[in-house]
Amino acid sequence: MLRKVVTARRRALPGFVLCALCGLAEAAVITLRVSDSASGRALDSVVASLVPLDRGELPQPRSASIAQANKTFLPHVSVVQTGTAVEFPNNDTVRHHVYSFSPAKVFELKLYSGKPAKPVIFDKPGVVVLGCNIHDRMSAYVVVVDTPWFGISDGEGTVRVSGVPPGDYLLQLWHPRRLGLPELPPRPLRVMGDLAESVSVDLKN
Amino acid sequence: MIRLRLRWKIAAWCSLLVVALQGIGLILFAQIGRSSAIADARMEVATAQRVFDRQIAHRAAQLSQAARVLAADYGFREALLSQDRDTIVSALDNHGGRIGADLALLLALDESVVAGSIGLPQGLPARVHQLIEAVRNRQEGSGFAVIADRLHQIVVVPVLAPVPTAWVVLGFQVEQGLVDDLRGLTGLQLSFVRRGARDDWFLDASSLPPDVGQALLARFRNASLGGEDTVAVAVADDDYVTHVHALDIGEPGEAAVVLMLSLDRALAPWERLFRESAALSAAGIVIALLASAVLGGTIAAPVMRLAGFAQRVQRGEYGGPPELSRGDEIGELADAFSAMTGEIANREARISELAYYDGLTGLPNRAWFGERLADAVGDALRSEGTVAVITLDLDRFRMVNDALGHGVGDLLLQKVGRRLRETMRDARDQVARLGGDEFAVMLPGADLHRAQAVAQRVAEVLQAPMNLSGQVVDIDASMGISACPEHGEEAAQLMRHAEIAMYQAKRGNARFKIYDPADHDRNVQRLSLLTELRHAVENDELVLYYQPKVATRPDPAHHVEALVRWIHPSRGFIPPFDFIPFAEQTGYIKYITLWVMNAAVRQCGQWLQQGLEVNVSLNISARDLLNPELPVLFDGMLQRHDCPARLITLEITESAVLDDPDHALANLQALRATGCALSIDDYGTGYSSLSYLRRMPVSEMKIDRSFVMHLLDNPNDEIIVRSTIELAHNMGLKVTAEGVESEDVLNRLRELGCDLVQGYLISKPIPREQLERWFAESHWAAAWPDAGRRTGMAGG
Ligand SMILES: [Cu+2]
Repeated sequence: MLRKVVTARRRALPGFVLCALCGLAEAAVITLRVSDSASGRALDSVVASLVPLDRGELPQPRSASIAQANKTFLPHVSVVQTGTAVEFPNNDTVRHHVYSFSPAKVFELKLYSGKPAKPVIFDKPGVVVLGCNIHDRMSAYVVVVDTPWFGISDGEGTVRVSGVPPGDYLLQLWHPRRLGLPELPPRPLRVMGDLAESVSVDLKN
Repeated sequence: MIRLRLRWKIAAWCSLLVVALQGIGLILFAQIGRSSAIADARMEVATAQRVFDRQIAHRAAQLSQAARVLAADYGFREALLSQDRDTIVSALDNHGGRIGADLALLLALDESVVAGSIGLPQGLPARVHQLIEAVRNRQEGSGFAVIADRLHQIVVVPVLAPVPTAWVVLGFQVEQGLVDDLRGLTGLQLSFVRRGARDDWFLDASSLPPDVGQALLARFRNASLGGEDTVAVAVADDDYVTHVHALDIGEPGEAAVVLMLSLDRALAPWERLFRESAALSAAGIVIALLASAVLGGTIAAPVMRLAGFAQRVQRGEYGGPPELSRGDEIGELADAFSAMTGEIANREARISELAYYDGLTGLPNRAWFGERLADAVGDALRSEGTVAVITLDLDRFRMVNDALGHGVGDLLLQKVGRRLRETMRDARDQVARLGGDEFAVMLPGADLHRAQAVAQRVAEVLQAPMNLSGQVVDIDASMGISACPEHGEEAAQLMRHAEIAMYQAKRGNARFKIYDPADHDRNVQRLSLLTELRHAVENDELVLYYQPKVATRPDPAHHVEALVRWIHPSRGFIPPFDFIPFAEQTGYIKYITLWVMNAAVRQCGQWLQQGLEVNVSLNISARDLLNPELPVLFDGMLQRHDCPARLITLEITESAVLDDPDHALANLQALRATGCALSIDDYGTGYSSLSYLRRMPVSEMKIDRSFVMHLLDNPNDEIIVRSTIELAHNMGLKVTAEGVESEDVLNRLRELGCDLVQGYLISKPIPREQLERWFAESHWAAAWPDAGRRTGMAGG
């Protein structure tokens, strides 16, 4: 635990530096069109993250929030930069007991209503599956990545990642249905300017 | 005896019927029972199998549910996902134990074993992966699998956090408790059998007793059980309806649940029913036996009484019939018996009257007299007493009957009977009418002297004239007397002797005569005649005499008639009249004829050898003509003695042919066919019929001596003789006249054209030697100098 916190703090600094550079250099917009490799159809909820090969200074993670409303986590799929503090505001009248047994972040927010006192900091990359111990059907995914440049495909399978500084990246794709499956091999991506790519995701293997 | 037989026969048959019906019923019952029990058992097994399936499914669902609940337990999930092996293992142990699982495994999503409550040296069976796959496809994640070498019912549930994050496998070992539970639910014997990787069957758990379990395994080892079929099989001396239900345990090996219902158990209710029904049958049989015995008794007892009655009737006791006041058939039978015995009694009385009494005189008859006499003789012999018998025969009764009519004759007999009865002084004396005009008197205790006195008195009484419907008739009687023991010790003998004496009296014109044994001998003589005659034929006591015949015209041949004579060794010459008629009566004539025929043919043949040709005629009786063997025998004699048939003439009486013309004529033709001549003897004495004469193959006719003797005195005889000669000549027959005793007759016959004559004038019958001398010396024979010589023989 202690080690993780230290790691997070060390990374925070370069991120801030990089961000400063961003303002200087011209940032690109990466647009991905994601489809199911089996059916070829547009695939939503695909998490795409661009992990820079050059782990220079990365910007500080921003805060995030996963709300509970109508006994549902909102949003269902989130992607956050490692070290992000995530708020879990409970907008329902019933209490929830949010937990995660995922190795990337094990935590629980015992029965609470309103906004918990402290946000949960997702300090390790990986996929965290959220559940509610009261409501078995409630689930949410939080993909923790070591990059601030990421996005989630919409209904049209489009992922738009903006403000990506030029450089070499590894494009990492994930989808909730790939839970338990090995990571898809990342694909290298050189960002020189705006970029539009079509990618497919295999949901089976 | 009869009652027992009939009664128990009826009872036995009734019982047999009942037993048979019940037996068939029971057999059918048993068969139906067994097949029904088997069918029931199959149904029960089928039902039990469904119960079993549902129970297993239910249990799987329960276990799954329990497992899901368990897997959803926050603390459990927390422990399982803690990444800490020891924590995970202890959580599996602890939480698995909560729902009674014998083993608990945690698998990663990739189905690799993360941790387990037991070690898994052989790895995870394929079956578990199948079940996980099934769960993934939203199917039931439960089934049987062999884990750690034990058969388990396992359930696979995902660990949801909240999406499937891992798998928990919970195993419940198949053991005795489960089998007992299932047995309790299905009511059947249950066995989990399994074939391991080493190819041997063994039991995981079974409700069967160990020995039966081993027997069942043996069946599996013999591969004689398998598949999912319900069959009746014998396992360890007991019949079971079994159902083998394969369990999917994946590879390797196989397993099955065997549901078994003992037929004994299935049959038990039927057997109870059968026993009850058999008991009912037995009771029914006993009741039937008793009832039929009673019924038999009611039939047999009166029948027995009637039988007894019938036996009494048989002994002649016509008592009242048995009292049987019944309205049924047996009552009717008793009435019929009663009526019948009445009728029998009446008829018997009449019959005995007829049998023992003479209706005309009212006296006992011969039968009665014979019986009483036998009794009296028996008494006399026992008491050394005497008994005398007088038989009596009326003289001239036939004359009375013919002259005055039967009515008067009957009156006469009645009166004689009455007088005889009145004459008797002793109460024991008995008078009987033997038949016709013959009466008899029995005098028990009387000797000959007293019998004579009685006879004298009877004679006097009968001499008194009798007035019969106005006719006065004098009557005489002849009586014979015999007495026991002098004249015999049997009733029949006494009667016969008395009758012999009576005939002697009649012949001697005496009133009465005492039996004289000498009288008897004459009768006995006749009886021995047949024996002696046979003796005579066999010992050549018979001889042939020959009576020559001479022709009225020159004739080269000799003619003789052969006549049989009997020279008795002690009694001397017996005339033919004394034995020929007797022989004809008894049929013994046949042998005499054959003897005569043989002797004559032999003699004829001998004479011919001596150069003497003699025509020999011999007599054939009526009986001989009916002997179909005669022609053959005759022919044989001719051959044997080298005698030409033409020299033999067979003389037959015309009446012989008339008895049985067809056979007689056929035999005559056969005799004629041998070549001999046939002659009609005694023509004119019988009822000659010209038509028969025509049909008879005769060549000669003889005129009887009775016509010839009075030929000259009686014109009628002459007419007969003349017409006979004319008739014979017209028919081409020669004529021989017998009984020629004078020259005048001979001359007259010659005038009338008669061909041959014979008689005392020429010669009486003489023996052979004398005849041969006669041939040589007699002027009759010499009258025709060539006669008998071979030279100049002109044929016969
Ligand atoms: Cu909740």
